[in-house]
Amino acid sequence: MHFRKIALATALSLSAAIGVATPAFAQQTVTWWDFLSGGDGVRMKALISQFNEEHPDIQVKGTTLEWGVPFYTKVRTSAAVGQGPDVMTYHLSRLPLGLSEGVLTPITDADLENAGLAKADFFPAAEKAAEGPDGTLYAVPFDIHSIVLYYNKSFLEGSRFLDDQGNLTGIESVGDFEEAMQTAADNGAETPLTYATGDDGGVYRVFYTLLAQQGGTLISDDGEILPGDSTEKAIKAVETMTKWQTEGWQPEQALYEASVALFTSGKSAFQLNGVWEVPTMKDLATAGTLGFEWGAVQVPKLMETQTTWADSHAFAIPVHGKDEMDPEKRKAVMTVIGWMEKHSIAWAEAGHIPAYKPVADSAEYAQMQPNATYATLADSATYDPRNDIAGVASPVYDASINILSPAMHGYLTPEDAIAQMKSELESRMR
Amino acid sequence: MAIIRNKRRHGLVALSLILPFLAIFALVFAYPLYEVVRLSFTDAPLIGEGNWIGLDNYVRLFSDRIFYISIKNNAYFVVLTVIPTTLIAMVIALAVNRLSGRWQALALVLFFTPYVLPVSVVTQIWAWMLDFQFGVLQPVFTFFTGKPVPVFKNPYWVLPSIAVVTIWWTNGFNVLLILAGLRNIPTDLYEAAALDGATRRQLFARITWPLLWPVTALVLTLQLILQLKLFDQVYLLSEGGPFNTSYVLLLMVYREAFQLNHGGYAAAISLILFLLIAVVSVLQYQLLRIGRGKDT
Repeated sequence: MHFRKIALATALSLSAAIGVATPAFAQQTVTWWDFLSGGDGVRMKALISQFNEEHPDIQVKGTTLEWGVPFYTKVRTSAAVGQGPDVMTYHLSRLPLGLSEGVLTPITDADLENAGLAKADFFPAAEKAAEGPDGTLYAVPFDIHSIVLYYNKSFLEGSRFLDDQGNLTGIESVGDFEEAMQTAADNGAETPLTYATGDDGGVYRVFYTLLAQQGGTLISDDGEILPGDSTEKAIKAVETMTKWQTEGWQPEQALYEASVALFTSGKSAFQLNGVWEVPTMKDLATAGTLGFEWGAVQVPKLMETQTTWADSHAFAIPVHGKDEMDPEKRKAVMTVIGWMEKHSIAWAEAGHIPAYKPVADSAEYAQMQPNATYATLADSATYDPRNDIAGVASPVYDASINILSPAMHGYLTPEDAIAQMKSELESRMR
Repeated sequence: MAIIRNKRRHGLVALSLILPFLAIFALVFAYPLYEVVRLSFTDAPLIGEGNWIGLDNYVRLFSDRIFYISIKNNAYFVVLTVIPTTLIAMVIALAVNRLSGRWQALALVLFFTPYVLPVSVVTQIWAWMLDFQFGVLQPVFTFFTGKPVPVFKNPYWVLPSIAVVTIWWTNGFNVLLILAGLRNIPTDLYEAAALDGATRRQLFARITWPLLWPVTALVLTLQLILQLKLFDQVYLLSEGGPFNTSYVLLLMVYREAFQLNHGGYAAAISLILFLLIAVVSVLQYQLLRIGRGKDT
């Protein structure tokens, strides 16, 4: 009895061992880390499993970590000791800091060839943002994402802000926008405009957009914070946001989820938020639980020029401590990246604008709504400053929640806030 | 001769007995401490070696505005927690001490339960209770101030709120310590005093308070060290904001080391914090002992 059990167990484990070893070719396991946990994360997981089905010789093992500081801290510490992933998602705004930390490996022309890609395949702005100062590529851009203006048509019906087709129109200045918010408030919108007023990202993106629309510079190329009249422009941006607060047009201390809920539950007429919430809206509309007609457009020209904050998700290969990555494995990783780029139409479903032009220019993408409507923003977008202290999970983001958000809520004057922000960022530069 | 050899053997035996401790102490305390000191004189990143830059980190630290803000906030937090939590623990311990049997055990469990919770759970509970939009405690704020208060986003409320959370969380342990101290006071002292006609107030002032003092001094010192090391609650509840009104030294260490990759500078800050805690706690303990000496 005992003997039979043991024999059976041995046979089973033997066959299991053989089963693992059967593929004659060397199977590559690619460890993948990303920070995509929202509606876009679901789509990314679908892409990964589709890749795995199509490639028996390469298996991607994906792990989703927490967005922001936790992700980038983990990447840095694990890469330094050689325990990092084989490929990871990376914000291009974070690239300067990544380079100074030395966690990124250069993407060579041979690598690109293995992926079936070329530098010219990408939007120039995104490709440029993926390069180091010497022109070496350190990441492969995957998308361009930005904030857009979502609107709820039910609050604007009958006003001059909807055209015959029911599309948003007539917003060409802050004055127009404020009038539209007031109209929405008169039509019963509880908080006419929603964005994450109590979170770093929400505040930063709106602030940076308003600053960029005035032609202001947050950090100049030689590292000066708010040079010249940019200081006054920054103050004006904060003043504008403060006015929206004191008028009761935007929510008080709204955290990210709450700010989205205000719009999806029909309490807000406008939402300034990332394109990544497009799938949320689409899913709700498809399920029939939204209860109103919605649209999304590029952030209108509120100040002097039309531009919007933008950032890119990209793929990067971290260093592995002191070791070099096995060339076969690196080839496999580049295969994954190339495949993802060519299938990024599925990623566009998540709201993002593909950085890979053959997909962005495709007929299929042109049909996608509202994506195609706001895709023009890619040409006029303003990326984050190229500096160690800027980008996702950087001191600039910290200053937004630590200084700008309290200023909007009346704890500091806009002048004081900008002065504090300036001195704080200066002290973080070294 | 035999005695000398014996002495030497005694020495060897003694050495071999303390060697495990010495080895572990050297490995997990002395060596890291030496490394922190060494790092603080370099411009090392978080991982890897840096260049020797002498006192530059310290020069920079002592002209860093955030450093002084952090020290001030650390001091304010100590004021908000150390003595209040000790007094509250004493009141609770005195009350619990009057209970007996099962009731005492039940009361102890109730007061000790929060201490068992991990900090992330504690901060989640309080973040929700005090949530600006949905918090169950917001009606209380509305009653007193007329409107809801986003406590962790308000410069005046943020540190007091974190202090309340901290006291709620850690008080159970202090109650246990003080209760142990109370049980150590011989009951015949109270009986004798009662026979002599001492009032309740006299019993407390003449017997309980002085005999409890060693434990009280210990609680105060432990609390001082613990509260100077404030980090988790701030990181989880307010991230140092709004505009640095809850920025503390350990948060500064974290930001410099893990966010900005300044390992050397972070080492300098943590060394200063270490010295600060060592000096302040030794001073406090000595002062408390002197104070006690005068009393008795």
